[in-house]
Amino acid sequence: MSRLEIRKLTKLYGTHPAVQSFDLDVAEREFVSLLGPSGCGKTTTLRCVAGLEIPTSGRISLGDREVTRLPPEHRNVGMVFQNYALFPHMTVAENIGFGLKMRGVRGAEARRRVDAAIDMVHLGGLQDRHPRQLSGGQQQRVALARALMGEPALLLLDEPLANLDAKLRDEMRVFIRSIQQQIGISALYVTHDQAEAMTMSDRIVVMFGGSIQQIGSPRDIYYRPATREVANFVGQSNCIAGKVVARQDARVLVETAVGVVRCEGRADVALGATGQVMLRPETIRLARAGGELAGRVTQQHFLGNVIDTRVALADGTIISVQTIGEEAHGVGDDVSVVIDESRAWLMP
Amino acid sequence: MADAVTGNSTDHSVSLRRGLLAAPALLLVVLFIAAPYLSIVVMSVRSPSNLQVYGPGFTLQSYIRILGDRLYLGLLADTLIYAAVTAAVCLVLAYPTALHLARTRSRFRGLLYGALLSPLLTGVVIRCFGWIVLLASQGLVNDSLRAIGIGPVQFLYKPVGVIIAMVHVFLPFMVLPIINAIESIDPRLEEAASTLGASRMAVFRHVILPLSMPGVQSGVTLVFVLAASAYVIPMLLGGGRVQTMATVVVQQLLGGFLWPFGAALALVLSLAVVLVLVVFALATGRAMRRLS
Amino acid sequence: MSFGRLMFLVAVAAVYVFLLFPTAVVVLTSVNAAEYLSFPPTGLSLRWYGAFFSAGQFIDAFWFSIGLGLVASLLATLVGTPAAIFYVRFLRTWRGQFRFAVLSPLLLPEVLTAIALLFFFNQVFGGMQSLLPLVIGHVVITVPFVFLTVTSALYNMPASVEEAGRTLGAGPWRTFFWVTLPLIRSGVVTGGLLAFIMSFDNVNISLLLKAVGTTTLPIQLFDHLRYDFDPTAAAASAVSVALTMALLIVIDRIYGLRAVRF
Repeated sequence: MSRLEIRKLTKLYGTHPAVQSFDLDVAEREFVSLLGPSGCGKTTTLRCVAGLEIPTSGRISLGDREVTRLPPEHRNVGMVFQNYALFPHMTVAENIGFGLKMRGVRGAEARRRVDAAIDMVHLGGLQDRHPRQLSGGQQQRVALARALMGEPALLLLDEPLANLDAKLRDEMRVFIRSIQQQIGISALYVTHDQAEAMTMSDRIVVMFGGSIQQIGSPRDIYYRPATREVANFVGQSNCIAGKVVARQDARVLVETAVGVVRCEGRADVALGATGQVMLRPETIRLARAGGELAGRVTQQHFLGNVIDTRVALADGTIISVQTIGEEAHGVGDDVSVVIDESRAWLMP
Repeated sequence: MADAVTGNSTDHSVSLRRGLLAAPALLLVVLFIAAPYLSIVVMSVRSPSNLQVYGPGFTLQSYIRILGDRLYLGLLADTLIYAAVTAAVCLVLAYPTALHLARTRSRFRGLLYGALLSPLLTGVVIRCFGWIVLLASQGLVNDSLRAIGIGPVQFLYKPVGVIIAMVHVFLPFMVLPIINAIESIDPRLEEAASTLGASRMAVFRHVILPLSMPGVQSGVTLVFVLAASAYVIPMLLGGGRVQTMATVVVQQLLGGFLWPFGAALALVLSLAVVLVLVVFALATGRAMRRLS
Repeated sequence: MSFGRLMFLVAVAAVYVFLLFPTAVVVLTSVNAAEYLSFPPTGLSLRWYGAFFSAGQFIDAFWFSIGLGLVASLLATLVGTPAAIFYVRFLRTWRGQFRFAVLSPLLLPEVLTAIALLFFFNQVFGGMQSLLPLVIGHVVITVPFVFLTVTSALYNMPASVEEAGRTLGAGPWRTFFWVTLPLIRSGVVTGGLLAFIMSFDNVNISLLLKAVGTTTLPIQLFDHLRYDFDPTAAAASAVSVALTMALLIVIDRIYGLRAVRF
């Protein structure tokens, strides 16, 4: 049985649909991210799961309990908010112990559990501080410990790293993921940062405009995006339009304006169907002129660890190629474009 | 039962429970502001009576009497003039104060704010008391004037004394809106002006002054209304010899049972004040429009 | 510093003197040794305070004002605080109108409100026999102050803190008690103190709505000043000012404590 089951969740504000017909199952111990630009409905979905919003229609179940219209205090979910939402008038210990207090756990037992939580998040010695005396990272960890204190069935996180600087964000990403795996709790994580979603999640749900675009593992999302928008949201992509002319085992042959390309495709793609061949810049290699796909280098940028090369193909299409380290071919050179077929993907 | 913390709830009992939070305040306003103000209007068209607060039936005679008698029209004019003079003097005194407080970065800023606001918490009677002592024939002000050769000036029981006290009492109400207006001026506009060659005086004239006009408008409106309806100050500083609409109205109500007449006077005053403010708003409106 | 700037600062300083001097005069007059009102004082004496404390009418009026202020500010707090919570957390439409309605007693001339209530109570209750009209009048004009300070405190407290309380197992009432109330406490108390001060100093409402046989301190002073110029009134005023100043310091202290705590 899944930890969290969402069926046809819809939330309307007036006539504006913030979330449309959202379906998702989150398994035990699974870390799922809701990824999308602001306004895509990911936070609204999370808040519906928490009970802070009531859906217009649809069903939410935690384990075998239906909780769709249940108030938050009865759902036993732990939530970490974007600005931490720590109680400013309480100490760290009081913040973390608040959930226990509400459930009637007091005295020595409560103290013991709070101390254990403080140790788990490495905040020893800070029990009696107030939130405004802590750094952003420390506050984040208090928020996490507080949410996990009541041994909730599900952990919800609403862009918790948005207010931290880059280096701290990296540390906290690892930290949150390791705590989640250590405790073995299922987690639903909202973010607009694709790197965050990729590094932390078992599966990613990509959302635009209130609807799910694709659900899959990070690799699936990155190398087999369902649409061009998804492809462009999680990284750079080159798209070449074409038509399917043949199938060969797991691959498809696509005829394009610049030549025939072999790439991966969905099993149900039909002969004659049109689509876009999606190539990630780092999966393309440049070789000496004379190969099947011809091109000429038009621009080149040194980005530090990566060299970004723009190549114009026979019909004028510009593609972006990224190489780690040195690139032998420079501006003006005629080259052959060599693609990695196993990582080229046909999108509808 | 659905009970979301925020967001829409389709559950009516939740909305009802939340509405109960606002109910006492709304009840207070409807029952003890809206209805009573309505009763002023009703009272103003009742028949006057010598034996009780009002007689049977309805009539417009109170209004006719007021609008036809030069005495009352003169009283209205006096009231409005005192209020206008008060507002004007307040503006002159308040503007530099507001300018200073809005732009100063001194560590005494909080203290100055306190100094500005603390008189508001002192009570109008006590503040008038101070002026009575100061403006008396043997008071400090007359002593100082005598020292520089000006003969004793009669302040008390004259409009000038009332106006001085009104300026004093209502000054903070002029300062505050102007401070707000000046503080909301983006300092980068002033910086841009000086990089374009404007002197401090020019920055004031061309940037700060025009953009602070909404605050000036608010302050003048507020002080004018307060001064036109002031009762305690004319009574104390005027000693019964300086009459305003408000003092006469209260006289009608407490001194004699001439409530319908008093009510009509109160309404005539209110309408006159509103009229003056509308004219003022229209006149300065054109200046405002040039800003946006 | 240029001459122009110096003149500007002198002018501003003069305005502050203008604002504060009259109250200072009253306080100094209260310690004047002379029989009559004069300033500057000819000598120092506390006799007028003695006169004040033994003057029945002043003392009675003083305690009546205190009692009235306490009742009015308590009621104003009970009415204004939930209205503020409703306005900030729950009201989505007609917000401007609601705010205007609750603040209307501040925007309307006080003497008109007093007159309106006089007529209303006369027509509904038939005269000023009880203290109820006076109390209601004071509550009406002090609720806006509580509303303003509590809304301000609520704006400084993000809703997510209350939401966090809910996800941790606290229902709406417990969230209010453990989370919201402690955080808006300074707003509520400051509002209550402001309400007390405004009630204590009020003249217009008290003048028209007071029941026969009762009087407040400002009314007592008002009557006194129209007919007598007795320095006892100065002592009474000074006591009133001292009370107000003490409450102001308490307000300041509350904010001071809050700033330290969070």
